[in-house]
Amino acid sequence: MILAYTRLEVTRLLRDGGYLAMCLVSPLMMYLVFTNLDIAGGDGRDAAVYAMVGMAGFGAVGAVMNGGVAIAEDKPLGWIAQLRLLPIRPVEVVVGRTVCAVVASAPPIAAVCLAGGLVDGVGLSPARWVAVVLLLWLGVTPLAVLSTGLGYTLPPRLAQLAGMAFYLGLSMLGGLWFPIAKFPGWLADVARATPVNRYGDLAWAVADGGAPAASTVAVLAGWAALFTVFATYACRRAVRRG
Amino acid sequence: MTTNTTEPVVLDGVAKSYGPVRAVAGIDLAVAAGGVVALLGPNGAGKSTTIAMLLGLTEPDSGRAALFGGPPERAVRAGRVGAMPQDGRLIGGVSVRELVAFARGAYARAGRDVPPLDELLETARLTGVAGRRADRLSGGQAQRVRFALAVAGNPDLLVLDEPSAGLDAEARRDLWAAVRGCAARGATVLFSTHYLAEADEFADRIVVVDRGRVVADGTSTAIKARVPARTVSLDLGDTPPAALDALPGVVGGEVRGGRAELHTTDSDATVRALADAGLLRGLEVRGASLEEAFLTLTADGGAR
Repeated sequence: MILAYTRLEVTRLLRDGGYLAMCLVSPLMMYLVFTNLDIAGGDGRDAAVYAMVGMAGFGAVGAVMNGGVAIAEDKPLGWIAQLRLLPIRPVEVVVGRTVCAVVASAPPIAAVCLAGGLVDGVGLSPARWVAVVLLLWLGVTPLAVLSTGLGYTLPPRLAQLAGMAFYLGLSMLGGLWFPIAKFPGWLADVARATPVNRYGDLAWAVADGGAPAASTVAVLAGWAALFTVFATYACRRAVRRG
Repeated sequence: MTTNTTEPVVLDGVAKSYGPVRAVAGIDLAVAAGGVVALLGPNGAGKSTTIAMLLGLTEPDSGRAALFGGPPERAVRAGRVGAMPQDGRLIGGVSVRELVAFARGAYARAGRDVPPLDELLETARLTGVAGRRADRLSGGQAQRVRFALAVAGNPDLLVLDEPSAGLDAEARRDLWAAVRGCAARGATVLFSTHYLAEADEFADRIVVVDRGRVVADGTSTAIKARVPARTVSLDLGDTPPAALDALPGVVGGEVRGGRAELHTTDSDATVRALADAGLLRGLEVRGASLEEAFLTLTADGGAR
């Protein structure tokens, strides 16, 4: 049933023009502009790899945050209530929505990585390409869980604001736009603790020829646990309140 | 109250308040399998809140709701219940066919013997709009989609909250024909309405709800005998108002500016008795609004 429900929600999402414009086109354009203006500085090719991972991650974060807004917008329609009148368990709906948000993050990741490889000549071994793309894709799951929790908690307009704040705020603070090495020291320390920076670091580490640090995985796992507790609480509360 | 665990619906003293507003003040209701029951009451009587508690969408402040002897959620998850909530618009991004197929698939996976998709669309008169986006339908068409979602699993219990609201005469007829089809297959049907005529025509049993309480419960004939269908008014003169209360058919009344307004279930008998008593002064007979009728039922002390 999760599969059928996820398919329905993914279908809805892919037919939503706003989603495509916001999550696909804007990170792609920003990537091309950033790399060609050489904002990130340093060696052009390294900068292209850095920006590719950053902008692919930016698009992915946008896509999952959009998932929460979509949930919030479904509430006044009565769709969430309607689903509770069908033989589907609430947990299947919550998991389905989260999976849908993760699926939705695939197109921007694919688009930016294709642009990186084809336009800017980012060269990685096939195994590293696969690892970078998979880490960008599956690593965004904790943020998808956060977004689902926000979607169940907040009314549509607040969900939109919160989604935007997390999307832009965390992306900038997390170094997806500019390397955090250019931040003042204290801010860089804060940035390194954010889930978005650790998420980006998974793929940056692999693109640099290494592997994600254990500390990166640990911080991200901590955030994932926190977001899961929040989303579980938010969804239970929403279900009880009706 | 009976505790037969196989009864499709049992409400045991359910009550719900929203802040200072007491939406449902304590309702007991048991519905036996295979009947068509109407919840009749004016807007704001607590019908929708009662239905939301019955379906497990809203937790009662006190009391208990059970469907088929268990918590409502269990019956819903087993696919035994089909429901059409009162408000609810349809989601975007999917066609009518995709949406109905999704609900049908959910019931099929729960082990229900579901009707073929095309038959379902035909029953709800949706064949012509099956390819349209669900959020781009007229109000009546959307209402039919919501009905199709409710019957997609051939439910044992069909719950409809104001199902005919917003439908034109023809769509109304189609809807009730489909509801009768469900009842004929053995489903139990519970619907709410604020039209006495609708309750009278389609239900075997009418439960009258007002201000969050059941004020009358019985067959259509029994309810009509208690619901005053007409108001007879006349100049009171020096007649003591108490003398009018005993007239045949009169179930209540009030005095306004020297005129007596009598709520009656049998205006012919009332007028005949007034004539016999020589009290016909400025006589006027008009149909009573349902609100007036409910007021009378409530004023009687809510006897069952």
